[in-house]
Amino acid sequence: MKTSIEWLKEYSDIDVSAKELGDILTMTGTKVETIESKGEDIKNVVVGKILEIEKHPDADKLIVTKVDVGTEVLQIVTGANNVKVGDIVPVAKDGASLPGGVKIKTGKLRGVESCGMMCSIGELNLTKEEYPEQIEHGIMILPKEYENKLGEDIVDVLDLKETIIDFEITPNRPDCLGTEGIGRETAISLGKEFKNPRKNIDEMIVEDKDEIEGLKVDVVATDLCYRYIARVVKDVKIGPSPKWMVKRLKACGIRSINNIVDITNYVMLEMGQPMHAFDIESIEGKHIIVRRAVDGEKITTLDDEERNLDSDTLVIADDKKSVAIAGVMGGQNSEIEDTTKVVVFEAAVFDRGSVRRTSKKLTLRTESSSRFEKGLSTENALRAVNRAVELVEQLGAGTEVPGKIDKYSKKQEEIKIEFDEGRINRLIGLNLSKEEIKEYLEKVEIKVEGNTAIPPYFRLDIEQEADLAEEVLRFYGYDKLESTNTDSKATIGMRNKIQKIEKNVRNLLINSGFSEIYTYGFLNEKDLEKVGRKDLIESSIRIINPLSEDYTIMRQTTIPSMMSILATNNNYKNKDVKIFDISRIYINDKNQIENGEVPTETKILTIGMYGKNVDFYSLKGIVENVLETSKIERYEIVKETENEVYHPGRCACIKVGIDSIITFGEIHPKISSNYGLNNEIYIAEINLSKIEKYARANKKYSPIPKFPAVERDIAIVVDSNIQVGDIEKVMIKQAKKILEKVELFDVYIDEKIGKGKKSVAYALIFRDEKRTLTDEDVNPVMEKILNALEKEYGAKLRE
Amino acid sequence: MKEKIKAIRENAIKQIEELKDLTKLNEMRIKYLGKKGELTALLRGMGGLTKEERPIIGSLVNELRDKLEEKIKEKEEELKNKELMAKLEKENIDITMPSKKIEIGSAHPITQIINEVEEIFLGMGYEIADGPEIEKTFYNFDQLNAPADHPSRDLQDTFYITDDIILRTQTSPVQARVMEKQKPPIKIICPGTVYRSDTVDATHSPVFHQIEGLVVDKNISMSDLKGTLEIFAKKCLGENTKIRFRPHHFPFTEPSAEADVSCFVCGGKGCRVCKNEGWIELLGCGMVHPNVLRNCNIDPKEYSGFAFGFGVERIAMAKFGIDDLRLLYENDVRFLKQF
Repeated sequence: MKTSIEWLKEYSDIDVSAKELGDILTMTGTKVETIESKGEDIKNVVVGKILEIEKHPDADKLIVTKVDVGTEVLQIVTGANNVKVGDIVPVAKDGASLPGGVKIKTGKLRGVESCGMMCSIGELNLTKEEYPEQIEHGIMILPKEYENKLGEDIVDVLDLKETIIDFEITPNRPDCLGTEGIGRETAISLGKEFKNPRKNIDEMIVEDKDEIEGLKVDVVATDLCYRYIARVVKDVKIGPSPKWMVKRLKACGIRSINNIVDITNYVMLEMGQPMHAFDIESIEGKHIIVRRAVDGEKITTLDDEERNLDSDTLVIADDKKSVAIAGVMGGQNSEIEDTTKVVVFEAAVFDRGSVRRTSKKLTLRTESSSRFEKGLSTENALRAVNRAVELVEQLGAGTEVPGKIDKYSKKQEEIKIEFDEGRINRLIGLNLSKEEIKEYLEKVEIKVEGNTAIPPYFRLDIEQEADLAEEVLRFYGYDKLESTNTDSKATIGMRNKIQKIEKNVRNLLINSGFSEIYTYGFLNEKDLEKVGRKDLIESSIRIINPLSEDYTIMRQTTIPSMMSILATNNNYKNKDVKIFDISRIYINDKNQIENGEVPTETKILTIGMYGKNVDFYSLKGIVENVLETSKIERYEIVKETENEVYHPGRCACIKVGIDSIITFGEIHPKISSNYGLNNEIYIAEINLSKIEKYARANKKYSPIPKFPAVERDIAIVVDSNIQVGDIEKVMIKQAKKILEKVELFDVYIDEKIGKGKKSVAYALIFRDEKRTLTDEDVNPVMEKILNALEKEYGAKLRE
Repeated sequence: MKEKIKAIRENAIKQIEELKDLTKLNEMRIKYLGKKGELTALLRGMGGLTKEERPIIGSLVNELRDKLEEKIKEKEEELKNKELMAKLEKENIDITMPSKKIEIGSAHPITQIINEVEEIFLGMGYEIADGPEIEKTFYNFDQLNAPADHPSRDLQDTFYITDDIILRTQTSPVQARVMEKQKPPIKIICPGTVYRSDTVDATHSPVFHQIEGLVVDKNISMSDLKGTLEIFAKKCLGENTKIRFRPHHFPFTEPSAEADVSCFVCGGKGCRVCKNEGWIELLGCGMVHPNVLRNCNIDPKEYSGFAFGFGVERIAMAKFGIDDLRLLYENDVRFLKQF
């Protein structure tokens, strides 16, 4: 909400600078966004009179003028062609500055000296709305009567000084969406008296009528229209508004249209109550009906758009058609025309929810709708319509027709709040006496009777004790509040299991050279296609109103996010990239969404890497370390050949029982190439919720072995497709307890060994925790192992 | 005999002193002190001596043995030392050659801020709470005193999954979830991802992070809130940080405040980061609205509480001097490794 300090001065004396005022109001809750001082950037521009005009000797389009600026006569060259001898004009003298940082200096134009510049309205940052008689591309011609002001500062002569403050008004304070409300806050904040210039309006009594000038009003939808007041003015003369009004409208960011429309906007900016004006002739049967629209009904609004209405929309209608969308925008069919003679002013209060829904549905947010949807006072509506009529008379724009039609279906109740000063003090952390609290409340016009507080009609936001506490604190001073410590019972702050795991795993990865990334939880169908997971499209949770086509569904896999970040890094020519992401996937696995419940969210740790020294086994090492850090010891690594995201020969799954907790491997080259990645990409998807499930919280100590180990090396030859993991399983099975460790130390493939064969060499470490093992203990076990390997895999001892 | 001893002595000492390597030294030891060495031979030849001469010669030989042993030991040490010096000389390296370190990665700046905040509040006895990102409007709005058509719902552009299920626009729904389940005293913080329909630019992202704090107990006051945030600001942003409360409005707190901190870049003198104001807007906070307490079955006459919430990215950007929010989500490792 923008307004000017000059306007605020109608409500309160202001004896501080704009900056100070801004700071003070910010600290009492009316936050200042920006302060714009107009006129201050115009310096050394004065009123001048053109005495002579001659042609420029060297340029057809230029003229050379002599201008009297009071103290001297200046020669000024200009290209403008709208001036004549005797015109009074604004003159920027040598050394003048203009809005936008323009500096004027004496110089030569095509060889002729020019000691300044005559200004257009644009150059003075004025608009055609304020000065409709002026042309935009030409010199501003001042009224003849300024002839006696030659040499005077244009800023004073045209009254250009204006300080506009833009306030951030919180949604609970619609009363401050009018200058009056901010004026009231200003007076309280500065400790000044609130000068109420609208006392006459507050005290005005206007007779209720059923019919005025043939106009009748019926409110059908009383649930959505709390109050509808119509007043009529006749003998209307549509014309421009006076400069002071145009200037104020402009300060608030509203363009001047004509006197009647301007009055409705002015009243809104003054009192916060949106208004509407109709031409009575455009109201069929002179009968206003406030009703819900009929499905399929259409109206062309003032912005020249045809709008489709439905039965949720509240409209202002006549006997035949709707003439306005209630609280949002008027219709073209009832617009004020130059020929309008009788005007109906409407001030109403509509249900805020209804206005909000309508404006959202039509994506039409207006000054009016944004006020209504915050909930307005029905008492204020009457003031507003009376003020509009008063302004019509003041401006000589028409004649008041006495009486009002007032359909008041939902009376604004007086709110009574029982309060306890002890509770208010405790809530804020103060120790004020009841008298002090009463004083603070009365400052903001809250009546206090005993332990009952009654807020004024314009403060619909004050409903309970906590609201009173805020009012007290606002004017006691938020900045004066002390800092204290809670004296509540001691509580234990500790990370829970999954938080600890997450922290440990993150540290492990960082210390292993991985950098953490952050990715978005949503993606689109193409992303799924790119990673070969079209199958997930249908079951994905969809966003109804996505920001763009890029983010339409919630992900069920983190692969696309990881792949695109790897691709970004590859595009930046970053070599050797090792990254990880801890984030969520979202799965509607039990039709939760359909049942109004939230879906399953699972935390996934995704590891991604490419570059030198990166292969399946280095990834496997990281995965194993993640398991070790989380103290998961019993798991199985199973080869996965069916997972289409991964290389069919280089993908594995870590299983605990029947649960798959990790999938990892090289991404299928086809998928990598979809991202422009031609190198080997390795990714692991680690389900952290499952890790939590299987992680052992406590580890028990097992004694350090007292007896020596016996180490035996063997090398065996098997078919090259036999997996070493399977060989190891046989060894472990046969050796039972005394086999402590199996270490693969060599795999060797050579024609000499045999076609399609490989040699694998192991160190087997045997140990018994109770005694020293001898050859007699170990030899038979070795024999058993070799026999079993031969039987299962045709393994032969290598010679 | 005495002459003989004298001759051996002079000869041996001279030879030992002239020695230049350790193997020769051993030869020398054998030559004089070994079983078949010259001194042993001398002792053996004592048979022909008189009873009186024997102890004299014996002690002379023994003295010589001690002398030689000492000399050899001395020499041995000297030579060993020389050898070691030579070895060390040879082992001299260029310490400016590159290291063979195991490269380490980095925690994302967002994580670093979250971790820091978590540590501060864990230390004050807060637990870390968590909630769903796909959330019911019931928790995101209704329970937080923003029923349907409440104007505050306009403050945030919400992504909808259905009419009743959305991507949470704030971490505050976790408050409501915790209060529903847990009886006071409640002390939690809740870091998390939130979503708002903002087009990506240097200061906006449809996905960002917040940290929410909530305390509910008997006699919790707004000044406690200020005290708590002051501790937080000092620990997180520097011991000289000052905090300032300004009135504001949030549907789920009353009284509400916005908290500013003295600019931690310029210390409040005014700079580019604080737009010459000396203050930086840090967070929104206030006393839990009695309606919210009631909604969660906590009696506002008996209990009160405070809540606060702030954006992690904003703090990360200000603290690390990051001028474009997009960098945080682009994840260029050259950026990430700087943290």
